Amino acid sequence: MVRLDKVVKTYQTRRGICKALDEVTLSIEKGRFVLICGPSGSGKTTLLMTIAAMLRPSSGIVSIEGQNLYAQTAQARARFRAHNIGFVFQEFALVPYLNVVENILLAGGNYLQRGRLAVAGTATDHAYELIEKFGLADRIYHKPCQLSAGEKQRTAIARALLNRPKIILADEPTGNLDADNTAAVLRYLAEFHRQGGTVILATHGPAAKDFADRVVYLRNGKIQRP
Amino acid sequence: MTTPGLILREILHRKTNFLLSVLAVTVAVALFISFFTAGVASQRETARLMLQMGYNLHIVPEGTDRSEFLLTGLTDKTMPQQYLEKLATPSVFSYNHLLGTLQRRISWQGFEVVLAGLAPEVCPPGQKQPPMVEPIPQGTAYVGYIIADRLKLKAGQIIEIAGKQLKIVRCLFEQGGVDDIRIQCHLKDAQEILNLPGRISEIQAVDCICFIDTNDPVSILRKEVASILPDVQVVQAMPIAMARAKQRQMIQGVFAVIVPFVVIVCGIWIGVLAAVNVRDRYQEIGIMRALGYGSGKITTLFLGKAVIVGLLGAFIGFLVGTYLALHFGPEIFKMTAKTVMKPQLSLLAWSLIFAPLFAAVTSFIPAMIAVAYDPAVALRQE
Repeated sequence: MVRLDKVVKTYQTRRGICKALDEVTLSIEKGRFVLICGPSGSGKTTLLMTIAAMLRPSSGIVSIEGQNLYAQTAQARARFRAHNIGFVFQEFALVPYLNVVENILLAGGNYLQRGRLAVAGTATDHAYELIEKFGLADRIYHKPCQLSAGEKQRTAIARALLNRPKIILADEPTGNLDADNTAAVLRYLAEFHRQGGTVILATHGPAAKDFADRVVYLRNGKIQRP
Repeated sequence: MTTPGLILREILHRKTNFLLSVLAVTVAVALFISFFTAGVASQRETARLMLQMGYNLHIVPEGTDRSEFLLTGLTDKTMPQQYLEKLATPSVFSYNHLLGTLQRRISWQGFEVVLAGLAPEVCPPGQKQPPMVEPIPQGTAYVGYIIADRLKLKAGQIIEIAGKQLKIVRCLFEQGGVDDIRIQCHLKDAQEILNLPGRISEIQAVDCICFIDTNDPVSILRKEVASILPDVQVVQAMPIAMARAKQRQMIQGVFAVIVPFVVIVCGIWIGVLAAVNVRDRYQEIGIMRALGYGSGKITTLFLGKAVIVGLLGAFIGFLVGTYLALHFGPEIFKMTAKTVMKPQLSLLAWSLIFAPLFAAVTSFIPAMIAVAYDPAVALRQE
């Protein structure tokens, strides 16, 4: 489903060229729960952003379901992201002036943009289902600054799931959470995986290993054999 | 979330940025409105003040010896009084304040004086303005300073010129010019004294040619007059005309410099605030891009906000600018403010069109910067 072929990503820094990804070749089948492990600076986030059609590699090919992502226009990639990929970030990435339900529905903005009110209605119903499911019912109208870290991350996961994506990319989603909330977040991701979704989770902690069916180690931008 | 909903939520969240942006547009619009409203009064006021320099246009009969006229300010030729009405036609727009006179040098009470009969001032239709010279009632006279001084004349006395009795209503203060040896009376009285019924020797006027961009105003004036009165000559008192023109152009120049300056400063102000707003929204833009929002929607969010800023600023600016102009205008433009300074709703309409456009243009570059953000980079900014 997800295929990276000799993907290189370099950055120009003051000290010279930095290779964040060094000829990464990787295949991830549909419905897998893959853990990307490695120390800070190993290229985990760069790898996720590249898979998410948000960061053009310096060379190599990234394809999902046979589509070469970076052969498409930015607009087409944005559409692809909206329909196929859900994101969860360590820092939650919630819009500060929107409440819980609005933050979740932000992912449905593209439905509204197209004026498909029936679909928009479906998105709203789905948002409320997710709110109920993630125990946020009493926090619907709270803004991010009024939420705990766990609530923020649950809101972020609900937003990631709103469009019923095929893949969830999670970048250190438990990095700012306590043990209980970490377990809860991993359970939600595992449930998505059980329902046939693909999860690619970048982390440097051990907590998620029990949920993953594959672990990929990254070091200095290269995939390491375990 | 709909786009307007997102814009409104963001505005409510970043109130300071929004209010400062609205303030920038308000200042620009208010200054523009107040300058424009006051500008009309300023031009009128300048024109009125410059009128006090006197008539700068002399229309004299065809056979007038130009050298003699320039030396004495008098002509021995006459023309029909009807010329005055003919000249005051709607097709004439380059001069106003038409004053028909009949003037002659006469010997009276042992010395040379100038007898001047003045008709009530005439303005072309639609250009009615307060007269520069107070009309002199029939049977009365204004006596120049030297005459009054030599003959010990006083207001209320009756004088007799060629058998015509005139009551002195005013003895003029010393003017330092020909007015000091002039007796002014109604045109009909002068025509009777000089036995020239229905005749005038000169039409004095004020040209309005300084509104027209030309290097040769006299030619335009002569052409206009010739189309109506082919048998007259036009003499322009150039220094007065030039002074009037330069003064008006100076006032226009001041407005032409200040208004664009204010608009540019406020434009930069809005642009900087928009750039700050983009900087504050790095991560938010990244989130939206990650969620699949395209460039169009991100641009709409920024430009939509700019349009709201522009509309609000235009409305408040119009109210503030009009208030400033109406409140302080009469203090500055004492003669004309009350008659010409009024709220101009057409300016509100223009403001509501141009201020949002202006705000959108100044926010355009920051909006393009926002659109150009690589979402991966934006999401890493905290």
